[in-house]
Amino acid sequence: MGDRFELVIVGGGTAGWMCAAACAAKLDPARFRVRLVESEEIGTVGVGEATLPQMKDFNDFLGLDEVEFMQATQATFKLGIEFVNWGREGVRYVHPFGTFGRPIGEADFFSYWIRAHVAGTAAPLSDYCFPIVAALQNRFMLPSGDANDVRNAFAYAYHLDAFLYARYLRGWAEARGIERVEGRIVEVEQHGESGDIAAVKLASGTRVAGDLFVDCSGFRSLLLGQTLGVGLEDWAHWLPCDSAQAVPSARSVDFTPYTRSTRRTAGWQWRIPLQHRTGNGYVYSSADISDDEAAATLLANLDGDALADPRVLRFRAGKREQAWAHNCIGMGLAGGFLEPLESTSIYLVQMAIMHMLTLMPAERAIDPALPTEFNRVMDVEYDRIRDFLILHYIANEADAPLWERVTVIDLPDTLADKIDRFRHRGHVQAYRDGLFGPPSWQAVFVGQGIEPRAADRLADALPAATVEERLATLAATIADAAATLPSHADFIARYCPAPAP
Amino acid sequence: MTNAVQQVVVHGGGVAAAMAALAVGRAYARLGTDTVWVDTGEAPAPHAALIAPPDLATFHRLLGIDEAALLRHAAATIAMGQQFAGWSGGDDAFLHAYGDAGSAFASLPFVQHWTRARAAGLRVALEDFCLAAAAAKQGRTGAPREAATRQAVKTGWHLDAPGYAKLLRAACEQADIRIVAGADAVVHRGGAGLDRIELADGEQFGADLFIDTDGALIAALDPGETAARPVFCDRIIRASAPAFDPLPLYSRVAAHPAGWLTLIPLANRTAIEFAYDSASLADADAPAALAAALGRPVDAEPSAPLAATARPRPWVGNVVAVGPAAGDPPPLDGAELLLLQLGIAQLVLLWPIDRAQMPEADIYNEELAGTRARVADFTAQHFRLNARTGEPYWDAARAAPISTELAAKIDLFAARGMFAHYNHEAHVEDSWALVMAGHGVTPRSFDPQALLTEDQALMAEFQRQLRAVASDVHAMDSHADALRRMRG
Repeated sequence: MGDRFELVIVGGGTAGWMCAAACAAKLDPARFRVRLVESEEIGTVGVGEATLPQMKDFNDFLGLDEVEFMQATQATFKLGIEFVNWGREGVRYVHPFGTFGRPIGEADFFSYWIRAHVAGTAAPLSDYCFPIVAALQNRFMLPSGDANDVRNAFAYAYHLDAFLYARYLRGWAEARGIERVEGRIVEVEQHGESGDIAAVKLASGTRVAGDLFVDCSGFRSLLLGQTLGVGLEDWAHWLPCDSAQAVPSARSVDFTPYTRSTRRTAGWQWRIPLQHRTGNGYVYSSADISDDEAAATLLANLDGDALADPRVLRFRAGKREQAWAHNCIGMGLAGGFLEPLESTSIYLVQMAIMHMLTLMPAERAIDPALPTEFNRVMDVEYDRIRDFLILHYIANEADAPLWERVTVIDLPDTLADKIDRFRHRGHVQAYRDGLFGPPSWQAVFVGQGIEPRAADRLADALPAATVEERLATLAATIADAAATLPSHADFIARYCPAPAP
Repeated sequence: MTNAVQQVVVHGGGVAAAMAALAVGRAYARLGTDTVWVDTGEAPAPHAALIAPPDLATFHRLLGIDEAALLRHAAATIAMGQQFAGWSGGDDAFLHAYGDAGSAFASLPFVQHWTRARAAGLRVALEDFCLAAAAAKQGRTGAPREAATRQAVKTGWHLDAPGYAKLLRAACEQADIRIVAGADAVVHRGGAGLDRIELADGEQFGADLFIDTDGALIAALDPGETAARPVFCDRIIRASAPAFDPLPLYSRVAAHPAGWLTLIPLANRTAIEFAYDSASLADADAPAALAAALGRPVDAEPSAPLAATARPRPWVGNVVAVGPAAGDPPPLDGAELLLLQLGIAQLVLLWPIDRAQMPEADIYNEELAGTRARVADFTAQHFRLNARTGEPYWDAARAAPISTELAAKIDLFAARGMFAHYNHEAHVEDSWALVMAGHGVTPRSFDPQALLTEDQALMAEFQRQLRAVASDVHAMDSHADALRRMRG
């Protein structure tokens, strides 16, 4: 047992305990010793958190029981995100976890919709999307499992209390042999020659040595940023919000199976319904509004009583130049930050964990091909999300100083081309890796007023009347199917009621 | 659609022009698009053969070409992979089969378990766990009833090139595509593109979109053609020998001190391609070298040049270069038909909406440049990974520059048995694994999640998979029976 590979996770927030749990589930304890160093003194950033459907894959990967997990984290279901006032004041659209329509000819469904939309015979795009129709009626059920049923054509995610999730995973991981080391880190020790991290020293004097360190220390980026000096690739010129205020409010009657994001003068406000309360926050650019004003705006726009004073968070959009440098991997906020507009925080942690496991060094001298691949795939993830977030910002009316600035910024080239191509013919490139497939881009483009002028020519092969009839049938099928679902509140009450906190 | 593309001219000859005209005609004639094929008369060399990778089977359905027609007119045989012989020196050989490299288990790709077992002393090759490879080597094909492995077995074709060209041409005629003979057309520009071409007899052909497989039209708009990659061999001799009996289900690429020799089994002959480097073997000596390699003289054509240029922008203005006009395909791995098919399929998908402006060109050029680079990488790996040390030609081939993407792929596979996936990949992950492992790359380490499987359980699983492969092979058809059934 003396020659085990020593893995040290620094920081015990959501990222740290997700990583520890994955190690507990997937690494052979005879060969890997995994320790997590955290201090009760350092508070974690635990607000209501919205996630993506991939989180269910992660929980399944660990083997968590869905009901138990949801009860432990006050979780609710999520079918997508409703964007309010994005594009322009008064507009609402949903970015769903599902595709639009289903095959009605040799072209893809979206092409037929464009064709009918241009001809003026189509209903709004959202009427052809089962999870949107169900979500907007506050209804939910698990996918039916029947591939021919529209009630199977969606994925779902969760809203949860990230602090409770970390606590739940901690118990789970500790029960499976992960060693937790309590203490505040006062010094990081590096190997003289290589500069690799040798150990972290705690205030108690304890020294925790390791072969590979996972930096989950949050914004401080204690190992990757501070010790190894890996710089931050700064994206603030594209994504100018640098602050947030978060506050919980009492659960409201409007128990939505979706997250809501409302555009405001200096940023946007989130609304995340949990079982016991609603998480709220205002993400803003501190150049455009004072903290006090932001707090007042937030408090004035809750749909339940505030349960605490708003808490301020500071951040900067960007990612570390290398997520894996030397013998240290940065995860979560220690590796980069993108505002939670598309609920990507936990997803990015999850991706880092999965890639870390498959690329785990086999010996102490790290094969350089492993970090090279890790950094390549994480860059792909970050860049794709970044472009998608910027799209939300630029496609807006310039109705306040912040929105005047962001709507005229120089875009990344990749994004400028994407917009032109979508306008010309609804073209969206599909990728194998990385987030946001064509339906996501279609939802946001159309939702924020960027509409294709024409469709794929293959969609012209069907007679117009046939297209119209098939679209109408589909919308009716979806409406009827949605009406058979229980309410989100009833479903949760029956399936996974959480105890009062 | 008031501004729709109504008139299309396909300019060129042989397989490429016929396939392009047929694909466009079948997709868009029903929307009122008229396609004229101006046939420049180039035809495949009499001894030429083509290797159609599995994807072409699907594409043939869109073209309306059925199996029986391929058998009848193109001397087709079934292709389940390609064998590489002597690329590490000696008599070693491996099969790049079109199928799964073992069956995934315990939520991990099979390669990870195989790497672990290799490190512990296992001597069984990766391809022995591949149903397609095992079946091909034993002359078996088709889908076993009640398969024990559930592995994918994909098949392509070996085709006689002149016969295939004639078949496609006949299909064009049947689809009412007008075919006009006319080489050396005079090009008339108009705006940012072409207005019309004029044949020697004075007949003029205007079009909204020109598809050029010959190269003269695209050259009039864009002279820029660049050397894209190392040539590896600059000369080729095509020849024929009597057909094999029984017919193999794979072609064989044997390394030679000055290049390589490909044997492609056709129903009525064996097509031979001898590619060589003129700096290592003089043209005058090449026929004798070929005869020596085969053990007897064969019916051969004079040697022809092989080049390696590519257009960075195959679509310029209203002219789309396809097939040979877009660039020379890599000389192995069925790349010629693969790139031709992908080029045509992408054009059908990105069919321009507005004849007056075609921003589709930028999308198309990005897609095709990416695809071409990844396809070239697949072929380049054979040369980078060859182990014929001490032979000047092969030492130089190993040292030839490779793309950063291919370098990353080889590094990662060698380190971890994993696949660095980029956009525009045209070959599946398991093909890369079979080829890299075949060239002798055994990964240095494996995913530690593999260690969750106990040694005993791992050995049992390996034995189970080998038995399943054997029983599936047993339940498959012989090549001859499969061809007989297709012939109907």
